[in-house]
Amino acid sequence: MSDHNAPELNPTPGERFTKFLKRKDVLETLGWAVFYTTGFVILGGKFYTKWMPTMMSTDMRAIERLMVIFTWISAPVCGFVLSMATYTFRHGHRGDTPPEDGPATRTNRLGISLFGVMSSLLALVAILYGLIELNSSAEAATKDAPNAMVVEVTGSQWVWSFNYPAQGVTSNELMLPINKPVIFKIISEDVNHSFWPVQLGVKADANRYQTTTVQTKPNKLGAFDVKCAELCGLYHAYMETNGAVVTTADFNNWVTAQGGHTA
Amino acid sequence: MTTLDNRVSSRPIPNPSKSLITKLNAGTGLVVGIIFALGTYYLLNNNSSDDATVNFQHYNRTLLASMLMWSVGFLVGIGAFIGPWRWLIGKDLTAEEQLYLAGDGQGIKRYFKYCTDHKVVGIQYLVGVITMLAVGGTMAMMIRTNLAMPGGHFITASVYNSLVGLHGITMIIAMIIVATGPFGNFIMPIMIGAADMAFPRLNALSWWVLFTAIPVLCSAWFLGGIPTGWTAYAPLSIQAGPGMNAFLATIIIFAFSTAVAGANITATVVAMRAKGMSWNRVPIFVIGATISVALAVPAFPTFMLAMIQTALDRTFMTSFFDANFGGSGWLYAHLFWIMGHPEVYVILIPGVAILMEIVPVFVRKPLFSYTSAIVGFAGIAGLSVLVWAHHMYMSGWMPMLNGPFMVTTEMISIPTGLIFLVILGTLWNGKPWLKMPMLCVYAFLWNMLVGGITGLYLSDVPADNYLHGSMYVTAHFHYTLMGSALTGAVAGLVYWFPKMTGRMFNERSSYVAFWFIQLGFQVLYLGMFTAGAEGQPRRVVDYADTFHVSNMVSTIGAYGVGIGFIVLLWGVVHSWRHGIIAPMNPWGAKTLEWTVPYPVPLVNFDTPPVVTSDPYGYGKAVK
Amino acid sequence: MASSNMTASKRVASALVGTLLGVAVVATVGLTLHSVSGDPQGKIYATKSADSISVNGMSYPKAAVTMGVYPDGETALKDGSAAAKVNKQTGYPQYGPSTHVVLPAHTYITMTIHVYDSGEELNNPYFGKVVGTVGGTATFDGVAQTSIPSDQVQHTFTLHGLPTRTQDPLFINVPLPKVEAKDNGDPIPTKDAETRNAGHTVTFSFLTGSKGDYVWNCEYPCGDGTYRKFGGVMSTYGYMSGKVTVA
Repeated sequence: MSDHNAPELNPTPGERFTKFLKRKDVLETLGWAVFYTTGFVILGGKFYTKWMPTMMSTDMRAIERLMVIFTWISAPVCGFVLSMATYTFRHGHRGDTPPEDGPATRTNRLGISLFGVMSSLLALVAILYGLIELNSSAEAATKDAPNAMVVEVTGSQWVWSFNYPAQGVTSNELMLPINKPVIFKIISEDVNHSFWPVQLGVKADANRYQTTTVQTKPNKLGAFDVKCAELCGLYHAYMETNGAVVTTADFNNWVTAQGGHTA
Repeated sequence: MTTLDNRVSSRPIPNPSKSLITKLNAGTGLVVGIIFALGTYYLLNNNSSDDATVNFQHYNRTLLASMLMWSVGFLVGIGAFIGPWRWLIGKDLTAEEQLYLAGDGQGIKRYFKYCTDHKVVGIQYLVGVITMLAVGGTMAMMIRTNLAMPGGHFITASVYNSLVGLHGITMIIAMIIVATGPFGNFIMPIMIGAADMAFPRLNALSWWVLFTAIPVLCSAWFLGGIPTGWTAYAPLSIQAGPGMNAFLATIIIFAFSTAVAGANITATVVAMRAKGMSWNRVPIFVIGATISVALAVPAFPTFMLAMIQTALDRTFMTSFFDANFGGSGWLYAHLFWIMGHPEVYVILIPGVAILMEIVPVFVRKPLFSYTSAIVGFAGIAGLSVLVWAHHMYMSGWMPMLNGPFMVTTEMISIPTGLIFLVILGTLWNGKPWLKMPMLCVYAFLWNMLVGGITGLYLSDVPADNYLHGSMYVTAHFHYTLMGSALTGAVAGLVYWFPKMTGRMFNERSSYVAFWFIQLGFQVLYLGMFTAGAEGQPRRVVDYADTFHVSNMVSTIGAYGVGIGFIVLLWGVVHSWRHGIIAPMNPWGAKTLEWTVPYPVPLVNFDTPPVVTSDPYGYGKAVK
Repeated sequence: MASSNMTASKRVASALVGTLLGVAVVATVGLTLHSVSGDPQGKIYATKSADSISVNGMSYPKAAVTMGVYPDGETALKDGSAAAKVNKQTGYPQYGPSTHVVLPAHTYITMTIHVYDSGEELNNPYFGKVVGTVGGTATFDGVAQTSIPSDQVQHTFTLHGLPTRTQDPLFINVPLPKVEAKDNGDPIPTKDAETRNAGHTVTFSFLTGSKGDYVWNCEYPCGDGTYRKFGGVMSTYGYMSGKVTVA
């Protein structure tokens, strides 16, 4: 990391930096760094937008955004690590005898300090982003809570069932009206389960005798999957059911068909 | 040096060939162990009650007691308690007997005895670990084969769930000892210039106790398997069938072994370093291994405790974790993860430390910023005890604490960064010698990068809302444990193979294995990350058709990894038998283990070494 | 490096043989596991009939399938169920003759379940409801009902699967009423036709969709002595759980 070839006796820091940048190995490494960073920014972001499922709530949208932004934050880290690895690998030594000794550099105060500051800053950005995101979703939930619909979710070994107390309906499928905040009150009849309506971007464990609560607001019509995300025994894999976000009218029709009463 | 204590007894020295010590070995251990186990079983087993609950609990008691008694019986039979027994009757082992216990001049037989020589214990651990990895790997192949196609047609759900749990626990146990077992026992004492471990008999004990856990774990298969995964969450574990007892007994036995080994390694490093080896001259592998076992010493008792409590819930109707009677599953989750998160660093740190030991040798440069390496390890170890509840973000235990746990978790990325800094700083300006161990360093850099960054997403509460319990998690921790820690251990195997076996590791097979493993690994977990991002839960025997492509890709990669490890195993066997005879120091390294010949003498060094610098004095002076 | 005490070609051959040997070992383990984890009792196939029936304006061919629920393997054996021959845990209640049911696609299935076991109470009262059958009812000894009280249940037949885009969703829950001792003084039936009638007979119909793989299990907690009575027989494949293949 240090410029060990400097011939001048007292170069200024600026001169040393320029000289450092002109080194062949530094240039090549920088090239690789740009290559990898750009690659990760483009492909890393695409990976999540391509593979993650339809976003059917603001929570899910926030999650996908977070995944992409975190990928961008970590792209320079990838660039740094992979560029140095690639350069040294390309210029490595092959053969049955050990290579010549390299420079006996044991430390580099500037390099270590810069690295420490940069990595701490990146961690700080990630932490702050996460905390702000956490706070804003909690804030939105609090605001929505008064006009939310309650759904009681019960996990039994290996089937979900749903109770709509205000509508007087029980079902094995999860029907939700669009744009209506919903509070899931989750409980287990036996072992631990984890209630996961995938496309809604929320999740909470179902515990015996401990109601867990999670809130979201579906904002896109369509079917979604309800899964169990906590190993719960023999048929854990099959502890899945259908969910759907429907229009308010369709929801009311469904409630009536199930023998319930609409508000 | 306890083994070779030259204190001369005033009484006449008995001929050890007539002593009981010489008659005992793993065979007698096996016999006594089986007698103890069967005796306990027949003594206790009478399911006479009409009440199914009473019968269930009694059967669990019987099985648990039989398993633990097997372990005790084996240790009695192999002679593990001869020393303590002698103390009890006011005597001690004679010098000759101690020499005998150290396996002096007993050839291959000593590997089947209660042998106190740390080199023998190291080889025992090595063979044990390889066996466990092979078994665990075979189970992984079964899992991936089943998941190649949707429908779960290859294996039924109960067998699959058992596979998942037993693969998990076998690999976790193997990975915990993969570096500190073989290399920590064989190499580390020589590295610090000691003649043996601080407590040689405890050293033998730690191995043979661990050994007794292996048949217990295997018995889970014949008792109906375990449905809980390796996390053994209560109350699922309370509900589980008789196979669960095997799991509980395994952990109780294993935790004991770890405690003994941890105390021993720590004491050895603290007390038995060569003259002149001040703390700033200790090889980095020794530092890593010590931090790792020191972290394990407080971590594993909580696991043991959780298992004992589960066992009590299953056998004596206590209700630590049973909410129906006032217990809480969250208590289990806490106890488990208070062990569970430090434990991943118990696995990771020695693996990384091996690679840090290797880099300076192959780049011919001093280790860059030795201080940063130590700060990195210590920082990781310190923070790792403050992050456990990030496994419980979604449990509903205390959502208010999700924020703080997110902060501590993401802070781990800072000391982890230092590890990268040390390795990259050593590489920079150097011309790495691209032998197999060095390739592993590069594989580590990539794998740890992926594992670390995906860990960042998982540590973030909003993202974890989606990712928790999905295949994404599985892929993430395989990158850190397998891609990073196991890669480090494989590098260590090839690097230290000449010192442990006297022969070079067959090079071509090491390269073939390396590329199969590492490329297969990327395909395997790229597929799994994708399945996770798409929303596939982990530990499922079957999945929706939409995940077919990513799972198929994953399985193809897994077969590549499988072939790679089989080639590596061939390389181990072949090189051990037919490999080229190794010179004393084939890599030109400067640590002390390369100054002793093969076979390493019983006391390691003819004259105790004196250390005058750290072992990284490579390189030309900087102009 | 220099060669060892083995020629290069011999070494390559040894490596190949060694690798193949390793693959063979893993494959053997796999095949063994596969063979022990299949369906030892075989499969039950629905009997197709020539009739068809119109539901909601669509015409469906008909098929029928019959199962029994027995308090233990001994009873099942008396009834001629194959299940007991294979399942060694004779103390376990079980469905028979097998728990793997194969049904034709796009068909009106009539399922008859004979029940001979006693019962207590459901963990989750939801499973006292009849769900997913044609008309939302099941016939209990000739009487059509939409649910039975959760303390009158003996077992349930609860069929479910994975929501996927290539397989039609199918969810069925039918509670089975318990056999009281007073029904005939002895809940254990024999192959003898008279005493066999002492149990209950539950009949229900449902429509299968396109081809797909589903599972079913019992939601009545009969894993005696275990947590929430869902261990033991409930968590062991092939007694109170099985597969449904729509082919």
